[in-house]
Amino acid sequence: MDKNLLTQIVFYFFAVLTVGSAAAVVFSRSLIRSAFALLFTFFGVAALYAFLGADFLAATQMVIYVGGILVLLLFGVMLTHKLYEVNLKSETYQLLPAVVVVLGVFGVLVTFMMRTHWHSGGQSPAVPTTAAIGELLMKDYILPFEAASILLLIALIGAAMIVRRKSE
Amino acid sequence: MNPQLLMDLKNFYPEIIITAALLCVIVVDIGFPRIRKSLVFSITALGLILAFLSAISLFKTPAGSMFYGVIAIDHMAAFFKCFLILTSFLVMLAVPGSRELSQKHLGEFYMLLLGVTLAMLLLACSIDLLMLYLSLEMVSVGSYIMVGYLKNDRQSNEASLKYLLFGAVATGAMLYGLTLLYGLTGTTKIAAIREVLASNILAGSNSAMLLIATVLILAGFGFKTATVPFHFWCPDVYTGAPTPVTAFLSVAPKAAGFAVLIRFFFTGFSNPSATPGYWTPYSSIDWHILLLVISVITMLLGNIAALRQDNMKRMLAYSSIAHAGYIMMGAVVLTSQGLQAILIYLITYLFMNLGAFLIVIEIYNRTGSFDLNDYRGMYRRSPFLAISMTIFMLSLMGIPPFAGFFGKLYVFGAAVNRDLAWFAVLGALNSVIAVYYYARVIKTMIIETNEDTARFQIPWTSHVMVWIMLLPTVGLMLFWSRVQQLTLYSAKIFLG
Amino acid sequence: MIGLSHYLVISAALFSLGMMGVLTRKNAVNVLMGVELILNSANINLVAFSKFSAGNLSGQIFAVFIIVVAAAEAAVGLAIVLSMYRIIKTINLDRADTLKG
Repeated sequence: MDKNLLTQIVFYFFAVLTVGSAAAVVFSRSLIRSAFALLFTFFGVAALYAFLGADFLAATQMVIYVGGILVLLLFGVMLTHKLYEVNLKSETYQLLPAVVVVLGVFGVLVTFMMRTHWHSGGQSPAVPTTAAIGELLMKDYILPFEAASILLLIALIGAAMIVRRKSE
Repeated sequence: MNPQLLMDLKNFYPEIIITAALLCVIVVDIGFPRIRKSLVFSITALGLILAFLSAISLFKTPAGSMFYGVIAIDHMAAFFKCFLILTSFLVMLAVPGSRELSQKHLGEFYMLLLGVTLAMLLLACSIDLLMLYLSLEMVSVGSYIMVGYLKNDRQSNEASLKYLLFGAVATGAMLYGLTLLYGLTGTTKIAAIREVLASNILAGSNSAMLLIATVLILAGFGFKTATVPFHFWCPDVYTGAPTPVTAFLSVAPKAAGFAVLIRFFFTGFSNPSATPGYWTPYSSIDWHILLLVISVITMLLGNIAALRQDNMKRMLAYSSIAHAGYIMMGAVVLTSQGLQAILIYLITYLFMNLGAFLIVIEIYNRTGSFDLNDYRGMYRRSPFLAISMTIFMLSLMGIPPFAGFFGKLYVFGAAVNRDLAWFAVLGALNSVIAVYYYARVIKTMIIETNEDTARFQIPWTSHVMVWIMLLPTVGLMLFWSRVQQLTLYSAKIFLG
Repeated sequence: MIGLSHYLVISAALFSLGMMGVLTRKNAVNVLMGVELILNSANINLVAFSKFSAGNLSGQIFAVFIIVVAAAEAAVGLAIVLSMYRIIKTINLDRADTLKG
C-alpha cells in the first residue's frame, strides 16, 4: 500500500478516535463511561503528538495524563458516589443554548483558522526531541522549571491538607 | 534595542527569600510540633520583611531581563513586588486576630500565602507567555486552596469549588488564546511578539484571528482582575472564604492581574510613540477599545449590584469589582500618566480596602455576623471601629481629603487629558451611585441604634492594625509629593 | 497530505467540546473532565504550531508545562470535590449552590 495513504488512514483513525471519545466524555449519561472515554481521548492525543514528531511529549502525555490525572479522576468518581449505585448517572443542564453557543464558537474558530496565514519560519524541530527539550529545560526555561516544582509542592501539600480526615 | 541580560542573582533576592521562607515553614511545621505555632508566623514575617527590603533595592537596578528572557526587572516590576509583598505582610498580620482562622492549624496557610506571593512576584514581571501562564496558574491554585481552608465549613468549600471551576475554565480559554498568538507570531516572548505585530504582516484575515486570540486572553486577565464578564466568581468566593483570605484576594491577585495586563498589552501590543509618555496600539487590534467597554460595564455593574447587598463581604466584593473598573480606566488611555494613575489608585486601594475588611473581621470576632443589620449602633459599642469604618467608607467613596479621592482624581484626570472626558464623567457618576451603599454602612453604624449596647473590648493588636491602615488613608496627602514621584518613577516598563 | 489545518480543526473541536462539557454538566468531576479537554486542545495547538509555524521547540516545552499545571489543578480540584462531598454528600452543582448568585 502507498505509504502516504496508509499514513492518512491511520491519522484519520486517531483523529476520529480523539474527537469521538471527547464527544462521548461530554455527552455520555454515565459518569464511568465519560471517564473511560477520556482515556481514549488522551490516548488519541498522544498518537497525534507522535504524528507531529513530539516523541517526548507523547510519552509524557501517556504517563501523566493517563497514568496520573485519569486515575485521579476515576478515584474522584468512585469516592463521591455510593458504591452500590452502579449506574453513576450524571445529569445535564439544558442542552440547547449551550449547543448553539458551542457550535457558533467552533464555526468561528474553524472559519478563521482556515483563512489565517500562520507564521511560517524555520524547519520543524528535529526528531527525537528529548535531548533538545532536556537542554532547554536546563537552560532557557530553568526558571519556569523551578517555579513548576514549587507549584507542585504547594498543590501537593494543599490538596493533602484539604482531604485529610484528622480533625482540628 | 539590545536587551541586557542581568546575570546577577542579587536582583532575584525577593523571590529567593520567599522560597526559602516557604521551605522553612514546611520543615518547621513538620519537625517542631510544640513551638511551631509562633515559629511559622515569625518565619513568614521575617521572610516577607527581608523580601520587601530587597525588593526596594530593585528600584536602583538598570532595566533588563533575567533567566534568558522570561522575566524582566524594571521600575514597574519593582513597584509591584514591593506592593504585593506589603499586602501579604499586612494580611499575615491580620490572620492571628481573626476568629475564623486562629483556631485552625496555620502552618499550611502561611506556606500557601508565601507560595501565592512568590507566584505573584513572578507574574508581575513575566515577559514570556510560558512564564505568564505558569505563574498565573500558580497564583490561582494557591488561592483555590486558601479559599477552601475552612474545610469543615460548607460555604468555604462551595466557594473554593466555584472558584476552581470558574478559574480553570477562564485560564483554559486564555491558554487557547495564547496558543493562537504563538501560532500567529512563532514565538512565546512578548517582546518578539511586538516585533512581529510591528512588521504589520497581520492584516486582513489575520487580524480576525488576532482579535479572537485577544478576546480569549482577556478571559484569563478578566478573571484575575474580576472584571465583567468574568466576575461571576467574585461575590460567592469573597463571601464564602475566610475573611482574611477575602481581604487578600481583593487586593493582591487583582493588582498582580493588572500588572500582567499592563505589561502584556503595553509591551506586546503597542509601541511607544514619538511623543514621550504616549503609546499607540498596533492598527490590527484596537485592544484599548475592548478594555474601554469592559471598564464601563464593570464600573456600572459593580456599583449597581452593590446597592442591594446586606452581607458586608458581598457588598465589598461588588465594590471591589467596581474599583477594578476604575483601575482599568488608567490602562485604556495609553499614556504613562494613565499608568501612574493606576499605581496611585492601587496604593490607596490597598489601605482602604484592607482597612474595611479589617473592621469587618473585628466586628465578626465580636458578633459572629457579616450582616449589615447587625452593624446597627456600632458607634455605641465601639466608637473606634465605627469611626475607622466611616473613614474607610469615605475614602472608598472618593471623598477628599482621604486617599481614595486622589486615586480617582488621577484616573479621571488621565482620561480627561486624552480627550475622553465622557469617560471621566461616567466614572464620576458611578462614584455618586456608590455613595449610596457606602453611606448606608456609615448610617447604620452611627445613626441607627441597637438594644445591645455593651462595649466591645478590642485587643491592642487590632488597634495597631487598624491604625496602620488608617494612617495612609488619612495622611496620604501629607506625603503626596513623595507618592507622586514614586509612581511616576515606577511607570516605566522594560520593553525588551 | 496532513497539514496544519487538520490539527487545528481537531483542537478546535476538542476546545468546543470541552466548553460544552463545562457549560452543561452538573457533576463537578464532569466539569473537570471538560477542563482537561480544553487544556489538551491547547496542547495540540502548541505542538502543531511548533512543527509547522514556529520551527522551534518552545511550543513543545510550553505543552510540557501545561501538562504539569493540569496535573496540579486536577489534584487540587479533586481534593476540593472530595472535601465538599464529605460535607454535603453530593457534588451535584445544583445542590451545591447555597451561596446566592
